[in-house]
Amino acid sequence: MNSINVGRHISGQFNEDLERVINHVMQMGGLVEQQLSDALNSVSDNDEELAKKVLASDHQVNHLEVSIDDECTRIIAKRQPAAGDLRLIMAIVKTIADLERIGDEAEKIARVTLESYSSKQQDLLHSLDNLGRRVLEFLQETLDAFTRMDVEAAIEIHSTDDKINREYEALIRQLMTYMMEDPRAIPQIMSVLWSARALERIGDRCQNICEYIIYFVKGKVVRHITAEEMKKL
Amino acid sequence: MISVTPKKLLENDPKIDLRSLTPEQVALDIKNLNLYYGDKQALQNITMSIPKGQVTAFIGPSGCGKSTLLRCINRMNDLVDICKIEGEINLHGENIYDRHVDVASLRRKVGMVFQRPNPFPKTIYENVVYGLRIIGENNRRVLDEAVETALRSAALWNEVKDRLHESALGLSGGQQQRLVIARAIAVKPEVLLLDEPTSALDPISTLTIEELINDLKKQFTVVIVTHNMQQAARVSDQTAFMYMGDLIEYSDTNTLFTTPNKKRTEDYITGRYG
Repeated sequence: MNSINVGRHISGQFNEDLERVINHVMQMGGLVEQQLSDALNSVSDNDEELAKKVLASDHQVNHLEVSIDDECTRIIAKRQPAAGDLRLIMAIVKTIADLERIGDEAEKIARVTLESYSSKQQDLLHSLDNLGRRVLEFLQETLDAFTRMDVEAAIEIHSTDDKINREYEALIRQLMTYMMEDPRAIPQIMSVLWSARALERIGDRCQNICEYIIYFVKGKVVRHITAEEMKKL
Repeated sequence: MISVTPKKLLENDPKIDLRSLTPEQVALDIKNLNLYYGDKQALQNITMSIPKGQVTAFIGPSGCGKSTLLRCINRMNDLVDICKIEGEINLHGENIYDRHVDVASLRRKVGMVFQRPNPFPKTIYENVVYGLRIIGENNRRVLDEAVETALRSAALWNEVKDRLHESALGLSGGQQQRLVIARAIAVKPEVLLLDEPTSALDPISTLTIEELINDLKKQFTVVIVTHNMQQAARVSDQTAFMYMGDLIEYSDTNTLFTTPNKKRTEDYITGRYG
């Protein structure tokens, strides 16, 4: 279902302004998705070059966030959007803030690659990778739903975050066991723990984006509601 | 220490439910109103309640019937020969279209201000007291007091208090429009109808009038027709969207401009082809 309907304004210029800003959000989403994917690959392949690439790409994401913010401010000032147009602009402003933070979290994950791990600790990285792949998939589905402003998909994938949280907690328990068994490895384990935390935060931010999609399409604020209330939407 | 919870901060704008107004909350109750200009039906079965002490805006494209509806509220359409009206508009439970209703006294209760400022070619003072003189008020002290009260309410007193006996035609457009509003409120109406009151004014005068409208609702029920949607969004508590003689959507202004119910409303307020 495609609910983004930016066309049909009497002002063709307004259509173009909205299309441009949406394209930039897609571009930013693609970039962040690539960052997370590269960060996870750099950890699993122990690829320092790739990790450095992730760190270097962060400024592009930051730059896009600032320019999209700027475009939205100009649209509000010049067009005084109402109803669906207004909700779209609000959803975009909030989404790009979350995307930028997802980029920051990806950067934290890539830093793990730059540390050295003994072969014994490779298991840890494997568990981190499992959680990472699930989060990456959630991000891809979220961006996909955003591109199509697919509210059904947004409602469906919204609960993925709960599963991610459970996996995160299981990983933390595993890390604590490792710490008790081998206190000398605590610095490396802490790095993995921070990465796991970063992945868990990305899940939260994807969930936020799903909420903005629902807000744009249905005009309903669904933040801080229960899973039951969400199902009734 | 006074604690203000965030919830309280957000609740400073009590909403009223348009679908369940109590009789005390209603200023005007319009029921099944149909209006024909000759064979052409200009208003189709309009039913709505306009709440007391609030600003209600009518918006819609040209020819949608919003000015016609506004003019019905003080029977201005009576002056149009080919106009036929069915249905009711109740003011205090009394249908203003009842045969025994005196139109002149109705218009004292329901004042009107038009698009172009139309002061009489008289002094500022005489403009304001015009309505009072017609109803036989000639006591100088009463008139002086009425002039000051009306001009203060219309946010014009400070600008004209030293030249009350100069011609009203020497005022700027924005001042003239506020003078006309002062003239309308000098007779203490219950309802004030504003038909595109700022469309002939510059942006600063427009903002002054908008600020004035916000003050006026403390004393009067205000109904405004405007082509400027942002103006409706800024000044009104309720907005009614009309299209081709139909009332399409009528709800509180915040809802109508953020999450309208009907696609036609959304298309209009977002500037799309209908």
